Amino acid sequence: MVTPASTFLPRAELDRLFGALAADGRHVIGPTVAEGAVVYDELTSFGELPIGRAAETAAGSYRLRPTRKDRAFDFNVGVTSWKRFTHPPIIPLTRGRREGTQVVVEPAELNPPRLAFVGVRACELAALQIQDRAMRAGPLGDVDHVARGDAALVVAVECATVTSTCFCTSMSTGPEVTGGADIVLSELDEGFVVRAATDAGAAIVDRLDLRPADPLETDRAAASVAAVRAAIGDPVPAEGLPERLRAALDHPRWAEVADRCLACANCTLVCPTCFCTSVAVASDLDGVEGTTERTWDSCFSLGFGRVAGEGNFRPKVRDRYRQWLTHKFSTWWDQFGSTGCVGCGRCIAWCPVGIDVREELMAIAPPGAPQGPIPWPLSPAEGRAPAPLATVAPAAHVAATLRSIRFETADTATLQLHTSDAALLGARPGQFVMAELPGFAIPPISISRIRPDGLDLTIRSVGPATAALTSLTNGAEVSLRGPLGRGWPIEAAVGRDVVIIAGGIGLAPLRPLIEAVLADRPRFGAVRLYLGARTPGDRLFVAEMNALAGRADVEVAEIVDRAGPEWLGRVGIVTQLFDQARWIGSRATAFMCGPERMMQATAATLERNGVAPDATWLTLERNMACGVGTCGHCQLGPFFVCRDGPVFSLAELGSAFGREGL
Amino acid sequence: MDTRDVTAILDGTWFTAELSSEARGRLAALGRLAIIPEGTSVVREGEPCTALGVVVTGRIALRLRPPGGRDRTILTVDPGDVFGWSALLPPSIATSTGVAVLPTTAVMFDGDPLRRALEIDCDLAAAIYRRLLVSVARRLVATRTQLLDLYRAGDEPW
Repeated sequence: MVTPASTFLPRAELDRLFGALAADGRHVIGPTVAEGAVVYDELTSFGELPIGRAAETAAGSYRLRPTRKDRAFDFNVGVTSWKRFTHPPIIPLTRGRREGTQVVVEPAELNPPRLAFVGVRACELAALQIQDRAMRAGPLGDVDHVARGDAALVVAVECATVTSTCFCTSMSTGPEVTGGADIVLSELDEGFVVRAATDAGAAIVDRLDLRPADPLETDRAAASVAAVRAAIGDPVPAEGLPERLRAALDHPRWAEVADRCLACANCTLVCPTCFCTSVAVASDLDGVEGTTERTWDSCFSLGFGRVAGEGNFRPKVRDRYRQWLTHKFSTWWDQFGSTGCVGCGRCIAWCPVGIDVREELMAIAPPGAPQGPIPWPLSPAEGRAPAPLATVAPAAHVAATLRSIRFETADTATLQLHTSDAALLGARPGQFVMAELPGFAIPPISISRIRPDGLDLTIRSVGPATAALTSLTNGAEVSLRGPLGRGWPIEAAVGRDVVIIAGGIGLAPLRPLIEAVLADRPRFGAVRLYLGARTPGDRLFVAEMNALAGRADVEVAEIVDRAGPEWLGRVGIVTQLFDQARWIGSRATAFMCGPERMMQATAATLERNGVAPDATWLTLERNMACGVGTCGHCQLGPFFVCRDGPVFSLAELGSAFGREGL
Repeated sequence: MDTRDVTAILDGTWFTAELSSEARGRLAALGRLAIIPEGTSVVREGEPCTALGVVVTGRIALRLRPPGGRDRTILTVDPGDVFGWSALLPPSIATSTGVAVLPTTAVMFDGDPLRRALEIDCDLAAAIYRRLLVSVARRLVATRTQLLDLYRAGDEPW
């Protein structure tokens, strides 16, 4: 039962609140002064609060100064945010070991500490909720984050002071506390007006046995926060901002701000909503045991958008700044139905060169800015619904046993894996798994065949992890997590012609689609396969494709990029196989997979042939580190490729497909 | 083979299918059907290119020989497409070696008479040169794309 009325806690008795939280079995985390700044740390008494201190912040500047009062919360927000406790910089994910041919991968034990956050501001409450939603958004969320958030009790404080970097009013996150707290404090000179907002908060407040707050006290508290609102004003008019930013992807200011930006990632590290992470892998010296950890990362890191080979989707600072700003203020709405910025101002104060995000927004997407074409279809107001996974939810880690391995080319092998896991066996064409050997990086691998008793994975040996996977011998185990992602929409092609275009190892995720179509052949019109490879020796599944070419009901054409005189087949790029074709594109549904440049050329040729964008499906490559949309690496505009894809239609992607630096 | 036969053959090729029937007939009058056995060189890099060919069946491989290396096929010309376009552009020197890698039939147009015909028949010239440009541009794009070596394996994080 929530205590309905406000009560009053005299300043001298604030320790009683700390005592009640401790009696509830909680460690108190709150603001304290360390190294000249307010940080959030474990507190044992209210005397450790930054009493009599205020923070003055500006672009690239932060200073503490004494005040003449002994108030505890006149500093606005701390340097670091509460995400340090709900989304710690480093957490263990798994511990794995190899025992002979067996592989055991165990997830880290979830044992979230019972914490009480004291002194959480309205903007920070919003940040906790926003980050929480992001971590719970997919069909599979970040279990550690969820457990920590659920275990924490939140004591909020309404702001009574303002500093020049505050803009919560523009983001509609404060300064009034409207939700997300268990207890709300409003600080007056002589003490605190206390409101319990949840049953858990009421249980604490009831233990304090406080007197009711008198109307004068509650009025003064309300007036105090109202004054803060008036002082901040509305520095970033947010109405229409997501749409304005979406239309400003090519604004020259991105390059200009990149000249000042150091790409140091400070802004993302102090941001209370940024959640991007990487998976770090460690191995013991003999390679028997390995651990994985989730570590904070940043979209400002040069390698954050790196993919296979020398590929990097955001090699320039301009690209990375645009990614950060457009995610916070635009595509976050597409994904989660809210702003990704709460207006706390930390990114402004802690930018070493003083870049003020408010100025950048007003320069790039000011109110009244001309609206350009919308680069991708708009998402519903509540954000994009994550793609449904397989009908059976994936188990965490499943050991699958290698039955056989066959080298398709000099560097590419198909592993036939046995498993009885219902989720894996329920995989759909186009889905992928994370394939783990302890001590090695964990690659996402497309499923190249779905069998009644297992899966095939076709893997190109390009680094230590894939070399280890393709060196396994029969009977060895591989730890799999999946199936993940959205597969090919086969039903969309029923009754229509099917055109399948593969480039290189892109044939692997298309193989289950081909098999599914041929298994139900009468439901489809003409079936045409166009296959490209680097050289004749790099062609995959040669015997199978030759067998298909011998069928009367399938058209197969292949081409290689380069060849010696012994090759009598076609040489050129894959689009040459059908750019003069006379089949009717409007009757066809196309599916393609290959390097992105190849797919861009293919998409253009398909469009010229009359295949509609909503009937053209492709699977995208991005750096998929977590596989479930919580690490941020694979973001493309409003999408997380691993979670919302990797299969998309051209219509869904809009001009996000192939746009440089996105 | 008379002109009507060549016209009918050209009707089935990408290169000439969309010409008006009159234009196709005028073009067919200049063409002859050639049977090219497998292994025959139809044009040699650096040598005079005397005829434009439209492949009807089979396949022509366009090859270059790197210094000190063996022949490399850069592109193949399949039914509907053309080889020997240098015959229309003086000084008409072949830019690659064309070899029939399959038994091939092609409609051949001698360069000199075709050029003269196009000089006095602007409608036909506009149609033919446009298609030639499309074909050559297609090859340019293909070659550029091949230069990117898209399918090459690089160092990956895993």
